[in-house]
Amino acid sequence: MSDLPDDPDLLAAEYVLGTLDPATARQVAARAEADPALRRAITAWEERLHPLSAMANEAVPPDGLWRRLAASIDAAEPIDAAAPMHVAARAWRSLAVWRCAAAAGLALAAGLAAFIVLRPAPPLPVAALLPSGSIAPAYMAQLQPDGTLRVFALRAAAVAPDKDLELWALPQGASAPIPLGVLPAQGRGVASPNVPANGTQLLISLEQKGGSPTGRPQGPVLYAGTLHVVD
Amino acid sequence: MLVPQDTHCWNSLDWTRVLYAGRGVFYLAETDRYPGVPDNGAEDATLSALLAQCGQGDRAAFRRLYDLESKRLYGLALRITRQPALAADAVHDALLQTWQRAARFDPARGSAAAWLTGLVRYRAIDAMRKRAREVTGVERPEEADEAPGALDRLLASAAGQALHRCLNGLEQRQRQVIVMAFVEGLSHAELAMRLESPLGTVKSWIRRGLQALKACLNS
Repeated sequence: MSDLPDDPDLLAAEYVLGTLDPATARQVAARAEADPALRRAITAWEERLHPLSAMANEAVPPDGLWRRLAASIDAAEPIDAAAPMHVAARAWRSLAVWRCAAAAGLALAAGLAAFIVLRPAPPLPVAALLPSGSIAPAYMAQLQPDGTLRVFALRAAAVAPDKDLELWALPQGASAPIPLGVLPAQGRGVASPNVPANGTQLLISLEQKGGSPTGRPQGPVLYAGTLHVVD
Repeated sequence: MLVPQDTHCWNSLDWTRVLYAGRGVFYLAETDRYPGVPDNGAEDATLSALLAQCGQGDRAAFRRLYDLESKRLYGLALRITRQPALAADAVHDALLQTWQRAARFDPARGSAAAWLTGLVRYRAIDAMRKRAREVTGVERPEEADEAPGALDRLLASAAGQALHRCLNGLEQRQRQVIVMAFVEGLSHAELAMRLESPLGTVKSWIRRGLQALKACLNS
């Protein structure tokens, strides 16, 4: 990372220009998911440089491209109603609080903690993982007394048969996320994060079947949230 | 008329016609005219509306978006990858992501076309970098590409004209690395090799060029 521009705006500019090395580019993309200022800087540079894309000639895509795309979309279509869902998740989902929560991250995590308060245990870090630009959480994660991390889907989304969702932890100040494993098909799973919990960011990315082979996110980060202890 | 590399082609006002000759890249002068400024707002409003419909699961809107944008996006990807299979993969992955993320697109933050361009470019560039790692020592094939009409297309929008003016205000090498990196998706190392310049120098051209470009466009 020593070679990177210190100026976040210049980092965004080089990201858009495409000159960052692939690992750094993926880190920037992952960071942008949870960093609105960086996301705005990237969008601004995309706008600035976009006219240059007119310099490339148009070309007719191969015949099968639309069919392939249509098939992928069928496979990726959300199957919300059909998906089995955790009982708590279903109850939780019905709460109107989801629809009017304004301060997404901490407020939602606090909400979950209040719900889980039924169990007499010390407060545990929880995280609501949201898609970028949305306040509707897709996954909840809670650190367990035994140090494991329990994750469950609030809105199960189907992924293509050749893809998996992979969970990552990005501790505060860390430059690279740590792989925590592939999420099981039903959207619930337990992982051993082995990282300082409070303030650690959790990310879920779309990866090839079996997860990223490189130990770094290869696909887009679809959901992100931060673990907080909520008293 | 062909102009030898590095004499005056990059100093001239039109560096947009791109020709490859061996490892050299030539950008040729044609004109300094700026045509009347057309309004691209309507086109982008159409794309934004289609994205909003896609966000609600409207497949017909997605097909329309594909019909409107696939040639442009595939052309971009092909220019970067120079391989039809890789270009098709990049467009497929980017448009699948478009479908999945359409609901998050906010026209207040940026234009739909720029968003789609970004999704395709990042995929195409990532594919090329991965490939470069797998097949070390093999340079990407360079083909003759006159990019006819590139200048006209660049100048066909107000934003393109402003960008052209500001790029012309940069030092020659700064302009060259920025245009080559964006249009052809070249890495620092590839730029250094093409321009036969040290890596650090290339990085510095890029950073100074980008900073100057932003200052000019914001002024």
